[in-house]
Amino acid sequence: MLNNLGLEHYLVLSAILFAIGLYGTLAKRNAIIILMCIELMLNAVNITLVAFSRYVTPELLTGQIFAIFVIIVAAAEIAMGVAIILAIYRGIESIDATKINLMKW
Amino acid sequence: MGLAIGFWISASVIIAAALGVVLLRNIFRAALSLILCFLMVAGIYITLSADFLAAVQILVYVGAISVLIILAIMMTREVQRGNLSNKLQLPAFIVALLFLGVLVLTVTNTPWPITDTAPVVPTTTTIASRLFGEGGFILPVEIAAALLLSAILGAIVLAREK
Amino acid sequence: MNLALFIPELTLAVFALLVILLDLFTEQKRLLVQVSVSGLVISAGVTLAMWGESFPAIFNNMLAVDNFALFFKLLLLGVAFLVILASISYTQKFARFQGEYYALVLLSTLGMMLMAATTDLIAIYIALELTSLSLYALVGFLKDSKSTESSLKYLLLGAIASVVLLYGMALIFGFTGQTQLGEIARVIQAMSPQTILSFPALTLGLVMLITGFGFKIAAVPFQMWVPDVYEGAPTPITAYLSVASKAAGFALILRVFFSAFGLPEWLSLNWGIIFAFLAVIGMTLGNIAAIPQTNIKRMLGYSSIAQAGYLLVGMAAMGFSPVVDILGRSSIIFFLTSYALTNMGAFIAIIAISNKLDSDLIDDYTGIGKRAPLVALALTLCLVSLIGMPPAAGFMAKFYIFSAAVRSNLLWLVIIAVINSVISAYYYLRVVNVMWLGKAASEEKISSPGTLRLGLVLSCLGVLLLGIIPGFAMLLAEFAARIFVF
Repeated sequence: MLNNLGLEHYLVLSAILFAIGLYGTLAKRNAIIILMCIELMLNAVNITLVAFSRYVTPELLTGQIFAIFVIIVAAAEIAMGVAIILAIYRGIESIDATKINLMKW
Repeated sequence: MGLAIGFWISASVIIAAALGVVLLRNIFRAALSLILCFLMVAGIYITLSADFLAAVQILVYVGAISVLIILAIMMTREVQRGNLSNKLQLPAFIVALLFLGVLVLTVTNTPWPITDTAPVVPTTTTIASRLFGEGGFILPVEIAAALLLSAILGAIVLAREK
Repeated sequence: MNLALFIPELTLAVFALLVILLDLFTEQKRLLVQVSVSGLVISAGVTLAMWGESFPAIFNNMLAVDNFALFFKLLLLGVAFLVILASISYTQKFARFQGEYYALVLLSTLGMMLMAATTDLIAIYIALELTSLSLYALVGFLKDSKSTESSLKYLLLGAIASVVLLYGMALIFGFTGQTQLGEIARVIQAMSPQTILSFPALTLGLVMLITGFGFKIAAVPFQMWVPDVYEGAPTPITAYLSVASKAAGFALILRVFFSAFGLPEWLSLNWGIIFAFLAVIGMTLGNIAAIPQTNIKRMLGYSSIAQAGYLLVGMAAMGFSPVVDILGRSSIIFFLTSYALTNMGAFIAIIAISNKLDSDLIDDYTGIGKRAPLVALALTLCLVSLIGMPPAAGFMAKFYIFSAAVRSNLLWLVIIAVINSVISAYYYLRVVNVMWLGKAASEEKISSPGTLRLGLVLSCLGVLLLGIIPGFAMLLAEFAARIFVF
């Protein structure tokens, strides 16, 4: 098992990373930590994409192209997230997401 | 064999570091743990012979995104408050566990259309021609330009004083 | 490749840049409005010139230039025009950032137009994120604590939804090895039904796609961002979110589910059932939660959740009979058009009233009928249309969608939808009642700026026109939906 590295290994690793990130986004109060957990989930998806690229489309590298665009979006998203967090911090001195009533519908 | 060792080391560090992000009490340490996780993901990319992507991962994630996150932590002095959880800890744990179960069952029970072709090494030329060449992904590249512009505009407006 | 077919999008991008540059050099902020509007008009003119002909997809088959895409581009450009009209008197609240405001409106319109036209998973994802990122920023433009908080909430929840969507896309890409919708369909149709059923990856991928798209169109249970964001955002942006974002989301759903997963029939039946279920909980929850609301923007937020439920009835109808049913598809397009005009009208009326009252509370609307009779009349027409009563457009829209559902043997779903329409009449009519029968606190007349009046007249004319002579618009919708015929 240790020697036969296959697609499934990468997919399971990605699933675990995604689940950890999901737990963090749902259970954490601090907006920065939630952003960090979203980055974990994005990295999990990227591992899936690159693994598919290696095993399913090794010559076209479609998965790697997809992953590059995901990285672009992740960078843009985090920049905007940090900007909003700084703006909020100026206003209410805390970025506790429960005070922002994130889950209220 | 070398690949397998590399994979298992990177994978275990990734999972440990990700757990660190969620569980560490100190936010600054959680951020450092996140950076370690990003670095090891680059290791995973190398075992998948995605050399260009590994470099991008280090430049963008370890270089830029980490700096932004640490900047946010420093500016907001949230370190003193610690990495707190909300009341949803148990439901969140159950949801994440269920999700993990479904995902693992799905990925292990699906016969993916795997080919035995050897991977392209190095990947840079292929990626360049797929992105910019004939019949490639030039449209997403152009949309990405607009996306970065709107992100810059948005971040400037939101972060500035009224 | 014919780059001329890309002119509508290019125009918007160029004019967005132009607005930012002009903003640096001019004190005349009125000029920014004129430049943005002329960008929209040129883009719409070029789009209109392409209407009716059939062009091959461009950018290596990633961007469709079919009538479906053109129809939605025109609709979105029209909505953006109304939003800019509605913004002119509103932008004084953030006078320093007017250039960025109009540029971001143009950029998000660009993203939505691309959402309606892209046919490749990678391009779809990037277009979706272009739209979302611009909207996150626009929501926070008021820069007070409510607005900024709702922007953060929208960003965090939106990012989670888009990661889930992305995982779904990754699974589908891994399962088929393709990112183009047409190629995905080819791979899936080549498999035998028995084999696909035993692979969970496709089903899970579909569920994750529905989750991500459901967030965009505010379908329950992915709606938790709606009320707070609608309340906190600048009112023109609330209108924009409730109309354009939803229209683009539905255009995307229609295209993805129809061209990639429309056949074989048992697969479409699967997602049809999911959409039917989402429709039921969406309509019911949206309508019930709207009843106790005291803030009119929040109330319209819940109402838009319910309207998404009615639209999902059309999606369910489509899933249950993908081959024969052209009515299902064209009725969704007709409903979106009528909903766009109606909701824009309602929000412009709210802007006109709230500008003077400085309040969004329904109780403060007491006696508006005497203080601003024409605006109140327009708001009444729009609310009547939202209930789905004649002679307004909402009636015909619901009529078409429900008959499509009946034809697909979804009578039970239609019955639930009709009961919901009756419930919804209660909270819509309460506003009408307060406006006309209540006694006003002051007798002072409310006058509104000419741009708002123009926007209001345009949308109300549209609502009446679609309600009284729906045939023509339905013809256009059928024409647009014709690309989805096997």
